[in-house]
Amino acid sequence: MNSNTRRVAIVGGNRIPFARSDSAYAHASNQDMLTAALDGLVDRFGLEGETLGEVAGGAVLKHSHDRDLARESVLSTRLAPETPAYDVQQACGTGLETTILVANKIALGQIDAGIACGADTTSDAPIALNEQLRATLLEANRQRSTAGKLRALSSFRPQHVIPSIPRNEEPRTGLSMGEHCAIMATEWEVGRAEQDELAVASHRNLAAAYERGFFDHLLTPYLGLERDQNLRPDSSTDKLSKLKPVFGGPDGTMTAANSTPLSDGASAVLLASEEWAKTRELPILAYLTEAQTAAVDHVHKREGLLMAPAYAMPTMLDRAGLSLQDFDYYEIHEAFAAQVLCTLAAWEDPTFCKDKLGRKKPLGSIDRDKLNVNGGSLAAAHPFAATGGRIVAGLAKQLHDAGKGRGAISICAAGGQGVVAVLEGPES
Amino acid sequence: MSTVSLASSPNIPLLYARAAAPLIPGASLLPFVPGGGGEIPELELELAGVKADAADVAAYARVCGFALRDKLPPTYPHLLAFPLQMAVMADGSFPFGAIGLIHLENRIAQLRPLGISEELILRVRPTKLLPHPKGRTFTLVTEVRTGNKLAWESVSTMLRRGGDGSGAVVPGKRGQLRPSAENFATVPTDTPASAEWRLDGGLGRRYAAVSGDRNPIHMHALAAKPLGFSAAIAHGMWTKARCLAALESRLPDAFAVDVRFRKPILLPSRVEFASAEIDDSASDGDIAFTVRDAKRGVPHLDGLIRPSETKQAKTGRKK
Repeated sequence: MNSNTRRVAIVGGNRIPFARSDSAYAHASNQDMLTAALDGLVDRFGLEGETLGEVAGGAVLKHSHDRDLARESVLSTRLAPETPAYDVQQACGTGLETTILVANKIALGQIDAGIACGADTTSDAPIALNEQLRATLLEANRQRSTAGKLRALSSFRPQHVIPSIPRNEEPRTGLSMGEHCAIMATEWEVGRAEQDELAVASHRNLAAAYERGFFDHLLTPYLGLERDQNLRPDSSTDKLSKLKPVFGGPDGTMTAANSTPLSDGASAVLLASEEWAKTRELPILAYLTEAQTAAVDHVHKREGLLMAPAYAMPTMLDRAGLSLQDFDYYEIHEAFAAQVLCTLAAWEDPTFCKDKLGRKKPLGSIDRDKLNVNGGSLAAAHPFAATGGRIVAGLAKQLHDAGKGRGAISICAAGGQGVVAVLEGPES
Repeated sequence: MSTVSLASSPNIPLLYARAAAPLIPGASLLPFVPGGGGEIPELELELAGVKADAADVAAYARVCGFALRDKLPPTYPHLLAFPLQMAVMADGSFPFGAIGLIHLENRIAQLRPLGISEELILRVRPTKLLPHPKGRTFTLVTEVRTGNKLAWESVSTMLRRGGDGSGAVVPGKRGQLRPSAENFATVPTDTPASAEWRLDGGLGRRYAAVSGDRNPIHMHALAAKPLGFSAAIAHGMWTKARCLAALESRLPDAFAVDVRFRKPILLPSRVEFASAEIDDSASDGDIAFTVRDAKRGVPHLDGLIRPSETKQAKTGRKK
């Protein structure tokens, strides 16, 4: 067993533009989109015929026939078919978690290079058999005699033909993620205006990043899209203030503009040891130096469903010997503007930091000008498993362009989970 | 030769009516109905401003097994040009109707991958008749251009059974025939299959729906029987597309692929797919493939992929 760890380089990333649900990618499957994202990465870094250590990928909304989504996608690309792959599913944390998994194997010397990736479609969503019909068919299959099979099938009722459609709902609370976040927004007293301002900043920053060509090396056009379809460069707080709330009742503060829309897309990130990248004359955009996953009990302890990153971050910072202010960039996934603002409020709150995190002093505030400088999920949209790859590749490029610095990533996920990581620029 | 530029894509149902009209005795005497034997006219049809529809490409990709990429499947332009191919063969000056013609061979040369949103210029022209042991052959040449540059080309060799239209087969001596495509290397017969495909009875109808090729021989046994087949047969271009989809990850950007359609696949059917790299000095990177009957091994299709040299030299696969 290797006792020395190696630095993990982020060589680069590639994604397809994100599309709004039932639009440009309405007919593309997760495998199609993941293949397209991988194709672009293979082309960009000359990986044709290359056998990589592994490809870790996943999707949140997955068909039963997509059980080996990552492996099947690899076989569609020009990567060597000897490249192993596996699927990961950790809700919206999937993209960052796969990055950490691949990075850890590189750090341990188990592999030299790998790809972390993810895709999600809400357009080509799986629709399952009615649960009662499924039970009936399975029972009929278990019966040996014809009479037994017929008896089992006799429990079929016409209403059983109505299929079961996946819902954005927490299994143990019955509330949607938006409804959970609305509860958090009330608890943390996050107002409508600051949520709208965050959304507008997200659109403004993403539009500016496109304008200066930031995405030229991060994106491959797909099915007629060259930019994220959800992007509205002319978004303004004036326009956003007119929208009706969609979560939290008539007095709610969360609207369609300060919540992420349903969307389709895929992303991929190439990670490697420094040596592997250097022998192939490939760039090193940044290094992944720390990561942490945490979970909260949103069921019995009344924790906010999307508050787990607030716990993961201090654990990681302590281990790395860093403070929350030691960063040049913060990439906080904008599942909802309220989620970002609740997390920042929690880190500033002495009571939360003392009672929940067991800290004498709060983590403190961050410089908002360093937050999601190239846009976030509110503007780009959020195809669940593809978001981690978008953020990792984007932050790595930002650090590379700046020539130095350090960035923090924070991503909340369903089931009360959160994933955070630290990326360091090439000079540090 | 006169090139006729069309303003819009020809109407397929109307073309089918004209293509089938020669089956009605005496109809060929009408000026707008093909027939009367004779030579193939010098005719080229052109349609500019053609753009694939992403939803159509997605449906086609599903039926054939391709991933939906930002590039068109290499067989897809053939489908875009299908209305023009039908229009050529349904022209009043054409010596016989299209119904009943047999697709013997197809060669596709992709000079570069075509983007799914690219605007294309399609051109279709037939070539002169040649003798064949079972009748006479001609080819349909389909070109895809972008701007003024050729980007893709397909050559389909069609057989008109029974020589001059009189129904009598002209016996031909092998030596006198010019083969319509050069002979190419095939998969060694002892090559094990890499996949088995179970083709159901509805395959012809599904491919017809995505391709527009609703020739009755593909639609149903009852429609195929009067035309000499005991069951509906799989479209040759579906079989070719399915093979290329199976080899998708190994296709270079620029290549030519020849196929020879052997015995028709009667649906439903269980067939095997096999491929082999052709390993000799003259054919670096060539991949031969075959589709054969799963039980008896009778070949349905033989094919060969040849990477274009310029591209091969440029990318040079890393091992």
